[in-house]
This record gives sequence, C-alpha cells and structure tokens, in this order.
Amino acid sequence: MAILSSLEVCLEDGFVYAILAMGFYITFSILDFPDLSVEGTVLTGGVTCAVLAEMGVSPYLSMIVAFLVGCLAGSVTGILHVKLGIRPLLSGILVSTGLITVNLVAAVVGNGGSFSGDGALSNVTIARGSPTIFRVFPFTLLPETVAQVNLRKLLSFFVIALIVKLLLDVYLKTKSGLLLFATGDNAQFTTMLARNPGSSKILGLALGNGLAALSGALIAQSRGNANQGMGLGMVVIGIASVIIGLSVFGKLRFMKPTTMVIFGSVIYQACLGVASILGVPSAYNKLIMALLFTAALVLSGRLGRKKQEA
Amino acid sequence: MLELQDITKKFMKGTPDETTLFDYFSFSVKKGEFVSVVGSNGSGKTTMLNLICGTYQPDGGKILFEGRDISRLPEYKRAAFIGRVFQDPKAGTCSNLTILENMALADNKNKAFGLSRGVNKKRIDTYRSLLETCDMGMENRLQTKVGALSGGQRQALALVIANMTELKLLILDEHTAALDPKSSERIMQLTDRLIRQSGITALMVTHNLRFAIEYGSRLVMMHQGQVVLDKAGTEKQNASVDDLLTVFNSISIESGN
Repeated sequence: MAILSSLEVCLEDGFVYAILAMGFYITFSILDFPDLSVEGTVLTGGVTCAVLAEMGVSPYLSMIVAFLVGCLAGSVTGILHVKLGIRPLLSGILVSTGLITVNLVAAVVGNGGSFSGDGALSNVTIARGSPTIFRVFPFTLLPETVAQVNLRKLLSFFVIALIVKLLLDVYLKTKSGLLLFATGDNAQFTTMLARNPGSSKILGLALGNGLAALSGALIAQSRGNANQGMGLGMVVIGIASVIIGLSVFGKLRFMKPTTMVIFGSVIYQACLGVASILGVPSAYNKLIMALLFTAALVLSGRLGRKKQEA
Repeated sequence: MLELQDITKKFMKGTPDETTLFDYFSFSVKKGEFVSVVGSNGSGKTTMLNLICGTYQPDGGKILFEGRDISRLPEYKRAAFIGRVFQDPKAGTCSNLTILENMALADNKNKAFGLSRGVNKKRIDTYRSLLETCDMGMENRLQTKVGALSGGQRQALALVIANMTELKLLILDEHTAALDPKSSERIMQLTDRLIRQSGITALMVTHNLRFAIEYGSRLVMMHQGQVVLDKAGTEKQNASVDDLLTVFNSISIESGN
C-alpha cells in the first residue's frame, strides 16, 4: 500500500510540476535563459489562486488570472534583461526577491487583514468550502478515491498538464512560436526578419512564468494553502525535469519535446519517491534534489559531448 | 540611394586605447550599383557595413537612405529593407529549425508573427524551386535541420533567405570567406545571378581580389578608414588583380606591414 500511495504522489507531483517544467522548456531550453524569477512566481500563482478562491471566484478563472499574473512577473524579468541590460541570472534574482514582498502583501491583504509590514507570513489557506477544481464541474464527475488512491486529484492534474502540453505544442508551431525558437537559436536571425529579438525574449519569459504560476495555482488548490515554502527549489525541479526528459528521450524522433518534459518531471518525482520509500527523511529532500540536478547536468553534458564527437 | 555623411567612429572611447577609425568619412552608393569593397584588416570595411546595418551607432555624422536619415533607426527596423549575409554561415540561418521552417520564417518577414500556422504548406513548391536554383540538393531535404547542412549549403540557404522578400539593399559581409574554394566560387556565382535577376543594389566586402575584379559594377579599396581607390564603369572593367595588388602592397608598406 505504501508503494501505491508513493506512486500516486510521484505521478501527481510529476504532472503538476510538468507544467512548471514546460515553462522552463520555453525559457531554459528554447531561449537559453536560466530564469530564476520562477522561484517567486510559483508562489505568486499559488497566492493569487488561493486569495481568489477565498473570494469565491471560479477556480478556472482564478487559474487564468494566476497565469496572467505570472506572465506579468516574467515580462518584468524580460524587461530588466532586454531593456536595462541586466544579466539573465541577476534579472531573475531581482524579480524573485521583489516578489517575496508582493506575495506577502497579497497574502495578508487577501486574508482580509491590514498590512502592518512586520512579521507577516505569506500563508493563505483555502477553506474547505471554497471552490477548487476538485470541487466543481467537470472533475466532480470522477469518484474522489478509488482503492484509497485519490483518483480525482490525479486525473485532474493529468488532464490539465495534457491540455497545457497540447496548447503549447500548437503554439510552438505558429509563427510566433517559431520566432521564439529562432530568437533562442540565433538572435541575429530574428533581427534580420525585421523583428526585435528582445520582444521575443520578453514574450517567452512571460509564457514561462505564466506556466510556473499556473502550476503554483494547482499546488495551492491541492494542498489547501499557499505558503512561503512553496517557492523553494522550483528552479531546480523545473530545469532538472527538462534536462532529464530531453536527455533520456531526446533520441526518439516521434516524441515531442513537451512530452519528454512531462516524462522527465515524472521521473524526477519518482526518484524522490524512491528515496522516501527507502526511508530517507523528507528533510533530506532538497539535498537529494540538488544531487539529482547535478546528475542530470552531468548526464546531459556527457550525451552532448558524445554527440559532438560522433 | 545610400549616403554616409561625415561619419566619425571611435573604438574604446574614453580609454587610453581610444582609436579613431572614421574621421569625417563620406561614401555613397547609387541605386542599382553592385559595389565590391576590398582592403586590409582594420581598414574599416566591416565597420562600415555595421554602421549601415545599425549594429553600431556612429559617434558623429549621418547615414541617409533614399534621402531619409536612418542613423538612429535600430538594426531590426533597418532589416526591413536591408538584407545581410554574414561571413559565418551559421549567422544567417537557425540550426535547430528545419530548412522548411527557416524559409517559412523568412517568407513572413515584414509581416506579423502571430498565431497563424508557422509553415504555410501552399508555399512549399515555391520554396522548393528557390532551392533548386542553388543546385545543392536542398530541395529534397526540406525537413532536415539546418544544423546538419554543410557550410556551403548553409550559406546558399542564407543567401536565398535574405533575398526572399523584397529588399532595397543587399549587404554581403565577406560571405564566401569561410568556405572552401569550390563552394566559395559557387556561392559567388549564385550571388551574382541573384543580384542580376533582381537588379538590387549590393555592397560586398571581400578579401578575394579576383571576385572583386570579376563581379560587380564598382570597385572600392579602403585603408585606415578612407577610400583609397574607387573605380567604376570601363575603369573597373580594365582593372586587374595585379593592379589591385600593387596598390595593396604600396599601402601595406606605408603602414609597415
């Protein structure tokens, strides 16, 4: 039974973080931009969604708003980099640092409190009766649990990750999507198409952070709250999932990169799951995450080098 | 149509290593001309192209294009009417996209890059016939990623791509220099054919003196930020590689090379 529930957790987390990882696929893989602002935008998405849920807003509308708020944060990172010439890593750190305050204020004000500015924590609880995707149509059609597995949660995460994947696949085949690839690959090419490569980067960062916030919104609904711990380690989870997915499945021509990223995310969570089955205390999780990330980086580096030698 | 007026350009400005490349440099190109520019390293050829394309801003002076001052126009906006092919074959195409995707993007130049399908299937035949003119077998490899092509093929593709939409000026920045002798010959012939067909105004920087003599309607030699030789018409037709070398050598001796 323990194994079954671990499997459930790693699939659930795998699907929900796959949305975040698809965001990183855009920023890290397509645009070659290591985007640290996500460390803040996941929680921003969570807080946005939780606050709106407490106001009784439809969970789907809250998720769209969370996505848009994430896009806004991402475009700030893009503007810092493109218009003010700040380096990618620093732009991300600046935005994620600034978002700590934004999340705090949003959480306190959203809870109906007045913001004194001291000693506050970003923690918004979604009350039992507030609307989440698990409590409204269409996922209420599914039985909540089957054989002690939380089927509704699992399937709803799967369906939402799948919808995001399909939409992203369609987008990446559009003119705007192709231009994103061109910008990441060769910014000069975008310039020669009489397009500003900077605008294309800002758009990509907006999308990446929008997806990060969307995944934060789902996590908040699933946990019943959005708190400060949520943002930690998101960059590692996201980038590691992308790297694992692309390096394990990269050779398969029929598989779309977005699919590889989803599998990468599930594999990554499965590794954490195995650690927990083996009885490693959860306090060690972040260290394991860092080690896994290192392994993924080394692995992808090896594969890359082999390809060049061949 | 293109006029550089009293251009000044300094490098490492404000440091002890400050060097002045252009000091009140003026140069103009007429509509329909095909100008070959030669000169030693550091003579200012590529800097001149970078100033025209907007990669660099001049420190002083004006750049007029069909009478309009474009000195402050960003590079990507100038690209709407100026096409450029670089020395590095990788610079003119995207390695991770297929030949088809590269061409589809180029085909959409000066239009909106919105949410319509990136590749318009109806245009594939047009792309194919454009590639056939290169005679490098690329017409049958539309789904191949450009990264898998040879340098010569990539440069031919870059040339075709740069000319897919209507341009007013074509800039060729030592575009045959990175290729083997045979490929470089083919690319030069292809360039000449494209320019003749469209009658476009072109500015080509090259280290190949023979190309400079054989192709183009005007020949310019630059040295230390100045034009030291400018031949057009019959004067250009009568010029030979030996003549050019004589001038070239005398300059080089002057500057102690």
